[in-house]
Amino acid sequence: MIALVDCNSFYASCEQVFRPDLWGKPVVVLSNNDGCIIAANREAKALTHIPMFEPVFKIKTELKKHAVTSFSSNYTLYGEMSQRVVQILKRFSPLVEVYSIDESFVDFSNMKDLEYLTYGHTVKETIFKETGLPVGVGIAPTKVLAKMANRIAKKFHNQLQSVYVIDSEEKCVKALKWTKIEDVWGIGRKHAKRLWAVGVHTAFDFTKLSPAWVRKHMTVVGLRIWNELRGESCLNIQEIPADKKAIGTAKSFGKPIEDYTLIEEACAYYISEVAEVLRHQKSCANFVQVFLQTNRFNDKDLQYSNSCVVTLPVATDNTFELIAAANKGLKAVFKSGYRYKKVGVNLLGIIPKEYVQGNLFYQPKRNTEQLLKTFDHLNFRYGKSTLFSAQCGTRKKEWELRYQERSNRYTTRWSELLTVKSPEATDRHSK
Amino acid sequence: MQTLSFGNLKKARSLHRPGVSAQTGFPSAATHYAESTIDLHNELVTNREATFFIRIEGNGFEEFLISHNDVLVVDRSLHPRKNDLILAVIEGEFTVIQVCENHEESFQLWGVITYIIHKTR
Repeated sequence: MIALVDCNSFYASCEQVFRPDLWGKPVVVLSNNDGCIIAANREAKALTHIPMFEPVFKIKTELKKHAVTSFSSNYTLYGEMSQRVVQILKRFSPLVEVYSIDESFVDFSNMKDLEYLTYGHTVKETIFKETGLPVGVGIAPTKVLAKMANRIAKKFHNQLQSVYVIDSEEKCVKALKWTKIEDVWGIGRKHAKRLWAVGVHTAFDFTKLSPAWVRKHMTVVGLRIWNELRGESCLNIQEIPADKKAIGTAKSFGKPIEDYTLIEEACAYYISEVAEVLRHQKSCANFVQVFLQTNRFNDKDLQYSNSCVVTLPVATDNTFELIAAANKGLKAVFKSGYRYKKVGVNLLGIIPKEYVQGNLFYQPKRNTEQLLKTFDHLNFRYGKSTLFSAQCGTRKKEWELRYQERSNRYTTRWSELLTVKSPEATDRHSK
Repeated sequence: MQTLSFGNLKKARSLHRPGVSAQTGFPSAATHYAESTIDLHNELVTNREATFFIRIEGNGFEEFLISHNDVLVVDRSLHPRKNDLILAVIEGEFTVIQVCENHEESFQLWGVITYIIHKTR
């Protein structure tokens, strides 16, 4: 049996743990640059007349009117809270696959005589007690069915207390009939449309198709889902996340920028971020892609966007070499006279470090290995950007994202701990 | 000291292992007595996943020997016993209370305070 444990409105819940004044109240979390809402808790979702997907500036008054508290995203906090949940899950089974920041698969298959429903409740209650985060648990014989059980647990959280187990043929059929085909994990919109056309509307209908048909129209990937829905497990629990094939980042500037040197600094900063990820997974990149764009939503501005790929002489994980390559690319695409909104970088052609091929005509710099190791070590220990390439500059405030309403990084910074005011202090403040 | 972790298991990797003298080749007399240096985090935090640090502002909790700017070690996994200090929530606000048999106000438990870290200078 496999469990899917996921946190309810994870980002909003993380914020609420440290804000008891907001318990039971609507909370939303905004995207980078506070552009739009990326997470809303149950109370906020209940305000269905507010178009939550609209840009925030358009619905600001509505949010205010309904006393919705909004936070800028605080990924440092969410990441740390997520690790706590994963560590707790590892107490319940040695096999845990972290599927995303707020979802994990937990393998119970080698555990004999387990009372799944009770165990599921214990998992849920332990996580809530220790971290303050509410979770839902779905348990079933396969991953796809576990995902389905989790949806049911969530949908009927009042009756089921957010835990549901599919452990009999009867329950399985009931769940399959209840689940619409487009809600099955792994069925995209394109496939859903094709399936509707042949009269398949629920997961149950899908399991009645012939395997030959599924294979023909949906390839082996579709067949795996078909098997999983029929209770035959074919997706394994992956403990070790697969290495990334491409690593990139692109964030909007806090304000439009025309100055080339500022864009260069932002670009170098993003390269530093992705190079760190690259070294962490012990890989090297062959190409650096740089792209630059103006704000396409602003019809008063002249529009321009372009990108280019720079090939490195030898695949590298060296921040400084990557920055040099990115600068070359940036120079090629930059045109003056535009108000730029965003610069982005992608590392492509990623290969394991041990497979890097040399280049007869290029001698890489020696002894940078230890330098970069120390570099990463210091930044991990003393916080991001303790050491940085001078290319990143010190004018970060001029291009950095706005985090107007970001909460404190309560669990990772000694200087940002949750502060509790004692009664006298509160009195003093009110006077 | 660094720790290597395997799921919930943590193995200390001692960085001060008595070495073999490069000069003489004689092993240190402390070789078989090596232990890792005390790490306060390991002593004060018994359940990492459930432990949070909280700073106190103001001198209103002096009766509990908690002063301004002290940092509380709060373990959410513990069940409060009589006389324990706990971080509680009353009407949506954090406060510190001592557990006794009959509380006048109703409160929600946030976590049990296990240590008070006080800076002396």
